[in-house]
Amino acid sequence: MMASPQARDLLARAALMVAVYAIFAAMLPTYTSLKGGAALLDGAVLTGLIALGVGLTMIAGEMDLSVGSMAALCGVIAVKLAPSAGPMPAILAVAAFAAGLGALQGLAIAWLRINSMIFTIGTLIGLRGITLIASGETTVLIPFDRLAMTDGFAARFLVFSPLSLTLLAAALAVGLFANRTLWGRELYAIGGGRAEARAAGVSIRRPIVLAFALSAGLAGLGGALLSLRSGSASPLGFEAVLLEAVAACLIGGVALQGGRGSIPGILCGLFALRFLISGIGGMGAPFWAQSLATGALLIIVIVVEALSRAIVARRALARRGASAT
Amino acid sequence: MLALTQSTSPPGRSARIVPLALIAAAIVLLVLAARWTTPAFATVDNAFVIVRAASITGIVAIGMSFVTISGNLFALSASQLAALLAVIFALATQALGFAGGAAATLAIAAAAGIAQGLAITVIGNPIVTTLAFGAVFRGLASLVSGNGIVRIDSAAASWFGTARPLGIPTQSWAFAAIALCGWFLIRRARIGRLLVLSGANRAAAIASGLSVGAATVAAMTLLCLGSAIVAIFTVAQFAQAKADLFTGTDFDYIAAVLVGGIALRGGQGSPLQAAFGAVLIALLQNFMLLNGLSAGVRMTIVGGLVVVATCAFHLLQGRAR
Repeated sequence: MMASPQARDLLARAALMVAVYAIFAAMLPTYTSLKGGAALLDGAVLTGLIALGVGLTMIAGEMDLSVGSMAALCGVIAVKLAPSAGPMPAILAVAAFAAGLGALQGLAIAWLRINSMIFTIGTLIGLRGITLIASGETTVLIPFDRLAMTDGFAARFLVFSPLSLTLLAAALAVGLFANRTLWGRELYAIGGGRAEARAAGVSIRRPIVLAFALSAGLAGLGGALLSLRSGSASPLGFEAVLLEAVAACLIGGVALQGGRGSIPGILCGLFALRFLISGIGGMGAPFWAQSLATGALLIIVIVVEALSRAIVARRALARRGASAT
Repeated sequence: MLALTQSTSPPGRSARIVPLALIAAAIVLLVLAARWTTPAFATVDNAFVIVRAASITGIVAIGMSFVTISGNLFALSASQLAALLAVIFALATQALGFAGGAAATLAIAAAAGIAQGLAITVIGNPIVTTLAFGAVFRGLASLVSGNGIVRIDSAAASWFGTARPLGIPTQSWAFAAIALCGWFLIRRARIGRLLVLSGANRAAAIASGLSVGAATVAAMTLLCLGSAIVAIFTVAQFAQAKADLFTGTDFDYIAAVLVGGIALRGGQGSPLQAAFGAVLIALLQNFMLLNGLSAGVRMTIVGGLVVVATCAFHLLQGRAR
């Protein structure tokens, strides 16, 4: 049976993920224990939720750089809201608030027809400032006598926690949305060839608004979940998550040019990256080694991908030239 | 990603003068408003603070303007590279003295610029590429410094960082000289024409045999040299370096380029606009600081300014055509 190119591509990325896991599992005993597995899954939740959202904007040929600030803002608001409203309503309200802000951002980008990377650099700075104002420039905490309400986050079912189950549920929902719904397919259409999509009557505004609403909503969800679990939120937190999320998407086969990428691929990229980061952390490397490794891995992956794309294109051209003569 | 460049008609002389006049007017208005409302603003000491801050931001912003003019939007790695170069300069000065340290720092900066320029050319997305390089630079800065403070003790470095020839800080002499050189490079030199043409219309530049890749490498190298100069000045002034220097200053550089009105799709604008933009940002930051605005409020205002300036110039330059 011949597998389709997409399936082969996904298989290669899954193999990379398994290989990274195997390398560190051979050296670190925590990688094979149930508890260690749960910690690995939990460590992927924040980056995973944000990678799903950023991945959608990248598939649509845009990129949301403001997710880290959005997660920090939502973390601060959730921690302030939770003692009076309860954790679940706080999380839902904050995620909906973030999705609303994201939709506004998407509307502005679609209406102005502005490069989304430039627009979201501005909102990245502005949202971080608002987060500082909202938190009074200090780490906000859930009051000690109310900390018991965050106990639910520590529950565990085999290797799964409420957080990692949320990530898997979000991945399933986003995957179904992107693959099986018309609105989801529109993301691929405007990312692959915007002029063609417009000529074929695809709305440009709806997919862009949707992608940015989902990306902000998922970032808000991630920020709220992680902050409530730890019972505190720093206004300067979640700064490095953008790099990790973009790296997860690109390792997972999302094209920088847009139009290509899948949710299972993003998950493979996410876990390949997380296995690596947790692995070097587990072997005692200092915290800055993680950003060094993420950056270096991202450069290698995108350079190799760009070079291989150029070689494939050149070969195809040569073949066409040979068959023409 | 979206197409980074679109076809443009060559700007006339008036199109060059208007953004400069606008930003000069904004600077004058801000100075008048600050004098009126804030007594501590119009003092000699405060003037030196502003001039030095504007010079430090401005030197990198001038470098960034080459990147923007060449059609590559922004680099998000300038502050991280400056931190790495600061640590390298401190260590090299300990071993080789001030002149040797400065030479080594500039050489490494040029290498970093060439590497990033080549990577952007291959990958095609300057923001993602420099995001990754930035993480590597910051990690290397921690690695090289052992995550501690590196102190230097050099009379030459100390003079270089704190002297005021003719009453003006060395940083500002360098800022003015670099702004003039940058203007000359873009308007009169061959390399400048290459940058402008690559940014104005990438397809046409390739079709007429220009190397867009060479333009990207040149622009990134100029930016990295700017980062190196700022790193050397800062370490010389405070006699120490650490890996978390310059954190968050990327936004000031980008804001300076943006409020300077340099067209984001490339091919237009001059380094002088970025220089004026840096003066405006430094004045604004100082004005807000003297009025006791908190870090959060200042950051929100700068962020809002970036969004508004981006959208306004986008509408002015894009939709008018």
